This record gives sequence, structure tokens and C-alpha cells, in this order.
Amino acid sequence: MMKKIISLLAGAAISLGLTVTAAESEDTVAIERPVVSAYTLEAGTAHIAQTYLSPLRYSGPMIALSYERMQAMRFDPERWVMRLSGRLDGARTRNNPARNATMWDLGLNLGWGMMRRWNIGPWSLYGGGYTSVEGGVLYVPRNSNNPVAAKAAWTVGVEASAVYHTSLWGKNLTLRYLGEMPLAGVFFSPEYGELYYEIYLGNHKGLVRGAWPGNFFRVNNLLTADIALGRTILRLGYRCNIMSTKTHDIVNRQIEHTAVIGVASEWLSLSPSRRPDAHARYISALY
Amino acid sequence: MKILRKLIALVAIAMPLTLGLPGCHSLDSYDNDYYGNFDALWTILDEHYCFFEQKDVDWAAVRDRYRSEIKPDMELKAFFGLCADMLAELRDGHTNLSSWFDVSYYREWWTAYPQNFNWRLIQEHYLNFDYSTSGGMSYKLLTESNVAYVRYSSFSYGINHSFVNDMMLSVKEADGMILDIRDNGGGDMTAVEDLVSHFIDERILAGYIQHKTGPGHNDFSDPYAYYCDPVIGVRWLKPVIILTNRSTFSAANNFVQVMKPLRHVVVVGDTTGGGSGMPFSSEIPIGWSVRFSASPVYDADMQLTEYGIPPTENGQMNMDPEAALDGHDTILDFAISVIVKYAEDNKKENTSRALREVL
Repeated sequence: MMKKIISLLAGAAISLGLTVTAAESEDTVAIERPVVSAYTLEAGTAHIAQTYLSPLRYSGPMIALSYERMQAMRFDPERWVMRLSGRLDGARTRNNPARNATMWDLGLNLGWGMMRRWNIGPWSLYGGGYTSVEGGVLYVPRNSNNPVAAKAAWTVGVEASAVYHTSLWGKNLTLRYLGEMPLAGVFFSPEYGELYYEIYLGNHKGLVRGAWPGNFFRVNNLLTADIALGRTILRLGYRCNIMSTKTHDIVNRQIEHTAVIGVASEWLSLSPSRRPDAHARYISALY
Repeated sequence: MKILRKLIALVAIAMPLTLGLPGCHSLDSYDNDYYGNFDALWTILDEHYCFFEQKDVDWAAVRDRYRSEIKPDMELKAFFGLCADMLAELRDGHTNLSSWFDVSYYREWWTAYPQNFNWRLIQEHYLNFDYSTSGGMSYKLLTESNVAYVRYSSFSYGINHSFVNDMMLSVKEADGMILDIRDNGGGDMTAVEDLVSHFIDERILAGYIQHKTGPGHNDFSDPYAYYCDPVIGVRWLKPVIILTNRSTFSAANNFVQVMKPLRHVVVVGDTTGGGSGMPFSSEIPIGWSVRFSASPVYDADMQLTEYGIPPTENGQMNMDPEAALDGHDTILDFAISVIVKYAEDNKKENTSRALREVL
């Protein structure tokens, strides 16, 4: 029995020693974490209903500019990546039933998240959390004292992504689905019939509401195909954002379908004091 | 690999689900026919209009009465007229239905009363067509009586503080000011605060405002007190007589509401037109927009001024139409005489009485 325990402890010590040795060996290899950045232009349609402004549904063309930045995390680059995103969008919706009024939409969204990565063959799966701030305004010029509905929210939520690495005509091709959904946060809304004039006078009661999927439902879906063309990567894709909020008996629903086109690249930040190690191991956040 | 398959399946299922999801909060939907548009209009008012109780309007009965008059083959303009008649039941000058061929108005808040104002008469016989003007405001020092006459035609112009400062400095030797807002149909509420700020030297309680908190007829917020602060600029604390008529409406009505309690202010002329519900806008499927009172505004004593504000005691009067033919605005003449008398009394008695004591 004693022999068994000694041999077990010895085995554990040897394996621990081997692990430490291996870790020390890895430490000697520099790791570079290139930044994946993408600039994209989106064009498509927006479908909007905002009952503070109108009981009617509007739809029309929209465009958006987006930026995305991904990088493996320093503390565990193999497994963890961060993702920063920004999106500025605008829509001019005129397709109400009579087509004689316009609802304008302007929005800005900034988000930061961190995801765990699992690499399984040609697949990479990501899952994690994110936080975002968004703001914007809906505007109906023909309304008198209620021409605008401001949008503002800060939320935290979950995001997940599935990436498939393959090739097309000898070019590296990365297919990706990314989904986001806020779970909690706060958002702005006037009360049911409250005019912004009253807010201007100083009545701020009830303007900030707690958000949860029951009153602030949002799912952002993004499908992209990244094709490596030399040093530049062409990004094509499709985005579908769905949002529906209800508070103070005001419903705000926005559904967007957009085609995505843009360029992406991977880059390293270098300086005279920091040159790339020829033997460094490169860990991309996406490719 | 099992985990991988599960995750792929999850994404594959989640994506089409979310793409097809119409949104989880329901929205009212109306057909774009006469009945659908009528129902949309009635419901908008039912859920947002703020004076049902004060005006004792049985809105459900109104719906039943007018809906039964709809005929599917009626002319579009006849349908518009029916909707306009339904809105007129609210007896509210802030309620309009706007189409591409007409805008409905409820006019009885001023048509049932004498106009009591003739701008041409004043320009010709009091100002001699010679006065300073900018942004809806005109003024002249009436040298014979040493009274400053100021006409402000609409609060839609906003307030140019530089102009008001200069105007007040230009007439600073006058014994008092007549501020004529007859036929001023209102405009921006912020302009009211801006103008009031030139007539006060300390923060004053301007009134209270409420709003609907839900679609029920009695779903209202607590009244919110709001205040006016003095301007950093020229302030007029000498006597002020505000001239009003039934066409002094909405923001102009609110201006009178805030100014009337001031010690150096009196109101002369006819009761104002009211309009103390701040309007809200919406629209119906046919493309017509509707405007209606949505947020009640009360005076500093929590009194509703929707039906108008009477002049200061002994200040109620109508313009004499026969005197007008001879070039006399008897309301303006009376106001001038009050300021002249007040100035003379003050010189004699060396006192500073409240202006309303002279009326």
C-alpha cells in the first residue's frame, strides 16, 4: 500500500515537473497578438414603430458605418479574445400607410466584450459577455411638441460567435456568425404622454428604467464572410438587428436588415523599441 | 465533438428564430379604411387627451354617435368633416385634424366674442406708422402720455433678449408700459419664460404641469412646479398693463397666467382665449395628422386656465366700435389713462401702491 502511495506521489511530482518544464519552455517563445480591425459600410432597410411619435409603422432605406476590432487577450491569448465595436446608423423611413410623412432615425452604438474561445478543427466557437452604450434619436418633423424620441441605453449582455475556417479558390475564407443579446442595464424613456418640454423644465422622474429582456429585447445578428486578398481582407456580410422595448406603455420597435461590405486587416503595433520577434507565435483573434 | 455539434445546432436554430421574430411587444393595428381611420383617431384621443373630465365629455358615447354615421361609400371630405365634428366635441382650440386638403379648427373660443383689436387703427392713430420693430415685437414711446407701447404679436418668434434690453432702455423714462398681446395666438413656451424674465427681479413660481402616465382617462402624473428666473439683463419693474382679448391663446394665455399675479402688472381688456393644455401630435393611417391637448398647465394656485384668464378686477372691457371709427382704441385709451393716473398719484402722494389699486 505504501509503495502504491509513494509511486503515485512520485508520478504526480514527475508530471507536475514536466508541466512546469513545458510551461517554462513556452514562456521562452514570444507571443504576438495582432489586432483584427474591420471597417464596413452597411445598406439596407429599417422598419420602425415608435408609439410616442406615431401609432403607424414606418419603413425605408438605411445606411450604417461600422468598426470592429478584435484581439487575443494578453492573460490567455489562446482562449480569450476581446471585441470592440462601434456603429453609426441613419435611416429615412417614409413608407407609412399614406407615404406622406417621414420618420428619421440616427443612432450610435459602442460596445466592448470578452469571449472565451474553443478551437475545434476548422471551427472556432466563442462565448462571453459584453457591455454597450447606445444613443440616438427618432424624429418626425410634422409633430408639434413631440417631434423627437431620444434613445439612450447602457446594457450588459451575452454574445456568442461561431467561426468556420476554409478556403475558396485558394484564398483563405473565414465564415462567421455573431449574435448579441443584452440581459440587463438601464435605458431612457419619457413617461407615456410626457413632453420633452417638461423634462427641460426639470422633471426627471421616471426617465431612467431598468432594462431586462422583458422590456428591452434586442438581438443583433451578424453573418460575415472574410476573404483574404493579399494583405487586405474583403468582408461581405448580412446584419439583422431586432429591438423591441416597452416601458410607460410606449413601444419602440426597430428591425434592420442590411448588407455589409468592407475591409478588414490584421496589424501589429510596432515601435523602434519594440520590434517583431522572428520566432514569435502569432495568435489571431479571428483568423 | 458532441459539444461542437450542439453549439452548431444552437446557432443554426437561434439565427432563423431571431431573424423571423417580429418583436415581442404588441402594437395596435388599424385598417386604412374609414372605420380603421376613425378607430385610430378615436383611440389616440381616448388614450392621450387630457381634459375629458374637466369638459365632461363622454368620449365613448361620442364614438358610438359618430361611428354610426360612417358610410363606406361616403366622400372623403365628408368623412373628414365627420372626424372634425367629433373632435369639435372636445371644445378645444388646440385640437386640429390636418389633411392635405383642409385643417379642422374649433373656433368658438374666439368667434363668439368681439375681436377688441385693430392693429391698423393703432399703427395709424397712436404710432403714426412710425415705430421700431423686430421679431414680432414693435414699440414706441407715446410722448404725449409718456407711456411705452409694446406690441408682441406671436410667441412663435421667440424672444431676442438684445432687442428687449434695447427696447427697455430706449423707453426707460416712461411712466409705464402697455404690453399688447391681443391676437397673440401663442407659440413657444420657452419664449414665455424669456419674456417674463424681463419683468421679475427674483425667482417666481410660474405654475404646474402634468402629463399622462398611461392610456386611462385619469392616468396623470403629480403636478410638477416650474419657475421663472430673472434675466441677466434689463428688467422692467415699472407699471405694466397687459392688453388681452379672446384671441390671446395658448402660450400667450400662459404668459398672462404667469404675469398677472405680479404686483406691478394688471391685465386689461377681455378674458383670454385659454388653451392651457400643451399639445401633442399623432397621425392616422390615411396620413392625416392630429394635434390635441395632452399636458395640462396650471397657474401658481393650481387653477386650470383652459377656459381663459379674466382681466384684473375692473379691467374687463370691450372696445367701443363707434369710437374705433374715430380712431380710438378705448381699451388702449383706458390703459394709458391708468398709467398716467398712477404716475400722477405717486407724484402727489409719494407712495408706491400696487397698480391694481388704480383700476
